[in-house]
Amino acid sequence: MLGYTITQWLFGILSFLAIMFALMVVFTRNPINSVLYLVLTFFCIAGHYLLLNAQFLAVVHIVVYAGAIMVLFLFVIMLMNLNQDTEPQKTVISKVVAAIAGGLLLFVMVGALRGSEQLQIKQYGHSDIGLVKNLGNVLFHDFLFPFEIASVLLLAAMVGAIMIGKKEIK
Amino acid sequence: MKGLFIISGLGILAMLAEIFKFKKILYPLVLVGILAAYAMTFVDWNPPTDHLSRLDELTASFSNMIRFDQVALAFSGVILVTAFFWFILASHYFENETNITDHFALVLFALVGALMLTSFSNMTTLFLGVEILSIPMYVLAASRKKDIASNEAGFKYLIMGSFASGFLLFGIALVYGATGTFDLGGISHYISNSHGDVPAFFYAGVIMMLIALCFKVSAAPFHFWAPDVYEGSPTVITALMSTVVKTAAFAALMRLFNVGFHHIGDVWGQIMAVVIGLSLVISNITAASQQSVKRMLAYSSISHAAFMLMGVLANKNGFDSISSILYYSLAYSVGSIASFTVLYNVSKDNNGHIEAFNGLSKRNPFLAVCMVVALLSLAGIPVTAGFFAKYFIFTTLIGTPYKWLLGVAVVTSAIGAYYYFKVLIAMYFKPAISTEPVKVEMSHTVLLIITTLFTLAIGIVPGYIIGIFK
Amino acid sequence: MVKLIGLVPLFPLIGFLINGFFGKKMSKGLSGAIASIAILASFIVSLLVFFDLLEHPDTTSHVVSIFSWINSDTLHIPFEFLVDHLSSLFLLIITGIGFLIHIYSIGYMHEDEGFSRFFTYLNLFVFFMLLLVLGNNYLIMFVGWEGVGLCSYLLIGFWFKNTAYNNAAKKAFIMNRIGDLGFLLGIILIFVTYGSISYGDVFGVARGANESTATAIALLLFIGAMGKSAQLPLYTWLPDAMAGPTPVSALIHAATMVTAGIYMVVRSNVFYIMSPAASEVVAVVGVATALFAATIGLFQNDIKKILAYSTVSQLGLMFMGLGAGAYSSSVFHVMTHAFFKALLFLGAGSVIHAMGGEQDIRRMGGLKKALPVTFMTMFLGTLAISGVFGFSGFFSKDEILAHTYEYSPVIWFFGSVTSLLTAFYMFRLMFLTFWGGFRGTHEQEHHLHESPKSMTFPLVVLAILSVVGGLIGLPEFWGAKNWIGEFLEPVATQPLNMLGHDQEIILMSIASVGAIVVIYFAYMVYRKNNVLPLEKESDMKPFQKLVYNKYYVDEVYDFLIRKPLDFISDILSRYVDKKMVDGVVNGVGTAVDGLSSVVRLLQTGNISFYILSMVVGIIAILFYTFIK
Repeated sequence: MLGYTITQWLFGILSFLAIMFALMVVFTRNPINSVLYLVLTFFCIAGHYLLLNAQFLAVVHIVVYAGAIMVLFLFVIMLMNLNQDTEPQKTVISKVVAAIAGGLLLFVMVGALRGSEQLQIKQYGHSDIGLVKNLGNVLFHDFLFPFEIASVLLLAAMVGAIMIGKKEIK
Repeated sequence: MKGLFIISGLGILAMLAEIFKFKKILYPLVLVGILAAYAMTFVDWNPPTDHLSRLDELTASFSNMIRFDQVALAFSGVILVTAFFWFILASHYFENETNITDHFALVLFALVGALMLTSFSNMTTLFLGVEILSIPMYVLAASRKKDIASNEAGFKYLIMGSFASGFLLFGIALVYGATGTFDLGGISHYISNSHGDVPAFFYAGVIMMLIALCFKVSAAPFHFWAPDVYEGSPTVITALMSTVVKTAAFAALMRLFNVGFHHIGDVWGQIMAVVIGLSLVISNITAASQQSVKRMLAYSSISHAAFMLMGVLANKNGFDSISSILYYSLAYSVGSIASFTVLYNVSKDNNGHIEAFNGLSKRNPFLAVCMVVALLSLAGIPVTAGFFAKYFIFTTLIGTPYKWLLGVAVVTSAIGAYYYFKVLIAMYFKPAISTEPVKVEMSHTVLLIITTLFTLAIGIVPGYIIGIFK
Repeated sequence: MVKLIGLVPLFPLIGFLINGFFGKKMSKGLSGAIASIAILASFIVSLLVFFDLLEHPDTTSHVVSIFSWINSDTLHIPFEFLVDHLSSLFLLIITGIGFLIHIYSIGYMHEDEGFSRFFTYLNLFVFFMLLLVLGNNYLIMFVGWEGVGLCSYLLIGFWFKNTAYNNAAKKAFIMNRIGDLGFLLGIILIFVTYGSISYGDVFGVARGANESTATAIALLLFIGAMGKSAQLPLYTWLPDAMAGPTPVSALIHAATMVTAGIYMVVRSNVFYIMSPAASEVVAVVGVATALFAATIGLFQNDIKKILAYSTVSQLGLMFMGLGAGAYSSSVFHVMTHAFFKALLFLGAGSVIHAMGGEQDIRRMGGLKKALPVTFMTMFLGTLAISGVFGFSGFFSKDEILAHTYEYSPVIWFFGSVTSLLTAFYMFRLMFLTFWGGFRGTHEQEHHLHESPKSMTFPLVVLAILSVVGGLIGLPEFWGAKNWIGEFLEPVATQPLNMLGHDQEIILMSIASVGAIVVIYFAYMVYRKNNVLPLEKESDMKPFQKLVYNKYYVDEVYDFLIRKPLDFISDILSRYVDKKMVDGVVNGVGTAVDGLSSVVRLLQTGNISFYILSMVVGIIAILFYTFIK
């Protein structure tokens, strides 16, 4: 079809959807709808992972982001009873400024990345890196140190969250 | 390497203290642990490397994820010494707050991040280091939970910090896309082999990482968070931010740009030069009209960041830029610790308004003298460490195309002297608001004596620090 | 003997430490004695070193290494002292006059509660001043340079309860910072050009650089000198610096610190010899300052202000000499000026002491009976500064003027006018203070007394020096030896005076006769006709008013520099900082409690602004790098 392979078609459609949903996240007034669009965005990105032959990442992405984190978001939003009415109204001027700044950012980003489409992106490593076995090998061999030290990061975040959340005992 | 493990272990130990009820001895334990980690930097001190970018297999660990070479060890040393001083300064903080052990753990984890930033040799460790350092700092900034300003500080820091982290990640991804490696040596290799034939988005990646790290060191125009966060946070946490966090961020910036991106210095150099110029002008001029000493110190820390950036900008082969940044960060950290200690003791309640310093020479001459030395050092007046710090930075910048910055720097540091002297005048030439003497406890007295003597000592014989990599 | 040079700055440092740490606990006598003895010890060592140099005329300079200071890849700066004819001469001036002023201060400051603090600062000052002249490279000189600036700042604001004094101190500091900036840039340029900042290395190869570099270096260094030695346009701090205690004015603002600029130019004379253009600038700025300050001196009524303007004017004359290439003559004048100006200041201090703090000469008069010693010594000092034949000032000033005549008769003319004006306003001061009837209050008249021995002793010593100090530099055509010229020969080669003897005699006669005529004129006006300075500004003629108000230079500076700076800072503070940043903080404090409302507030206002500014920065950077 039009000289594109099926993978390229899929890539195009997924990218379009991902960007559209991402825009919807920002544009929707209702926070709950926002979160739902975010979930959809994550699904599209998981699709990209699949195209890249990284099934494990795709699954983990859905489980962790779309599953755990988004549910948490929803809980928070519902518990705090945030909805359209409580959202502060933005002034026109701030909207204009935001639109201009965002547009300009887009403009310079495109400018910065232009010309890279003709470039032959080299394929690094082997194409099956996303499979569980290969990923495990890399993670527990080359990237052992970052993998382990990430636990310190998680621990710190956990302690921090508890400290902020805990009631002061006097 | 050993130091990093010791500090990580201490962090976990701090959490265990709550369960096994040895909270009482935790504080001395932490002090001893930091000293032990510091001692390890001497143990690990290895034969000199000619140039940073030369891969030195001796010091690489974990598939070259992290490398404690001499430069890393020297900066770790500065961070650990500063952290030790800071713990003495903060002894009260750990007594007054609830959840002491959590605070200990967070500070120690932040230290782990700081040490990683001095020694990373891979983009993944860089990113993890930045996050491990930042996340505890967000929480600590907000740690005075009843205080609205503290909450605000933490919140702002979090939002702005995440924004910057996003840019850092984006940059790393683009750089990886072009080079296919996370390894610093590999990136440097890629640049020198490609002979200028690199895709535009590689440069975009470099620039984005520069922007993200400029945020972390609070250089203009990415500095807006700093005054608010510094002022809102508890004073001791501000002290931690402006010393340990700053030194670590600089070690990272230097390692990344003077090693990884060493060969494309002209691409990021001009941008950095403009950032430096902006930071110098904005920070010094705004600082001049501040009424709060704490806020003034926040602006002054932006200006010091600009000075250290100059060392990175010089991007010299050999150890000239590195040793000048090392010296600067040491002089600046020690001076800051001393001035924050005085600030802490002088104004426990009114958030560092300059009036609290009025007539301090009458109320507590010792504090006043220590503050004078610290401020003179920060202002860069000779015989104190700060003078040579600036001097070395200047000499490294000579011979680069950015000499014009020297003019800006000299003019703005003249303005800088003005606001440091405002405090001096308040202390010596203004009538005191009350005649009641300011009490200082023993540990702070000792800390001030040590930091003051240290400032003078390395100002009189800077050769030992500046020649450390020989 | 030369090896002991390290002791010279060490003694004041020890004195400083002892007084600094234990001063409060010691009695006033002990604290003053320690400070004075420290300086005396330095003076004795300086004398021994000086005689050592005299005995071995073949070795002209010694480098004494104290310790290795800075070692890095490209920078190697040892901490070394340079003992040569120039520095040893300055050592003698600093420690000798310093000692006398310490003695004087014991009497003068006796009632002051900050007695030990005063001596602490004074010793510290001497220490830095010694570093300044002893260092063997520009960096040590710079350290001393900043150090004396700091001490000067502390001492001007010594009586800190008075805000005006504090402002004077701040002004001095800021003016000096402007000069220091030039000096620092000069040092950096020297380092870039020659790869070293040690005198030996630099002067040895200095001639290798081209003339424009030498001009740049010379001018930058001169900017430093302008600040420290109070030359146009940076002179305004010196008159205000008179807020400090009088001994400080004598030591720092007349005899030593303000001559640091002269020392620096003489030390770096090789650059000025290489660059005639820079020398010309020095000469013109010098003579302009001299004339300018002398005219202001004509109508001042504050006894210390008159002396201050006179100091500015005399320093101008010295720079004029330096510009004309008369290096050793200028050093000669530094020395004689140190004698008589210190004497005049100390004398003025004694008068102020007797008058119970009054400094206005309109309230004095007829003091010669009550203060005989002060009167006699000050009179001798006045004769010396006016250049009356035979006194020390005559010889040094004459030498400078003779060289200047050769360099440019126009500059000579203005220099000579300056020295005549000097004679006039100095005698005006003398006549109004010591002759005529007493014009002060009754209590003051009752209170009048001669100062204690500790104050009159230095006056007598300095008076003797002011009278005979000229003998070390007698003009050559007298057949005598110009000792000081020969002594400084190895450091600064001064072009030989090519004037014929008769020409020189004519110049000398013009100066002498002129001085006598002017003094007679002053006598006629202020003694014979008893003219008194006007009380009210409104009675003055326009020109008089202009001069009385010091040509409104302070006001102009205020308008041109301080106001705009304040304005910018104020704008930034008011709008960027207060409105945007503080607005939220304050708003938070009053309007909200609870985290949720903080979040709300943050979203409406500021954090979006911060992020916006960051985004704008990012856009600018990316645009610059990739699109252009």
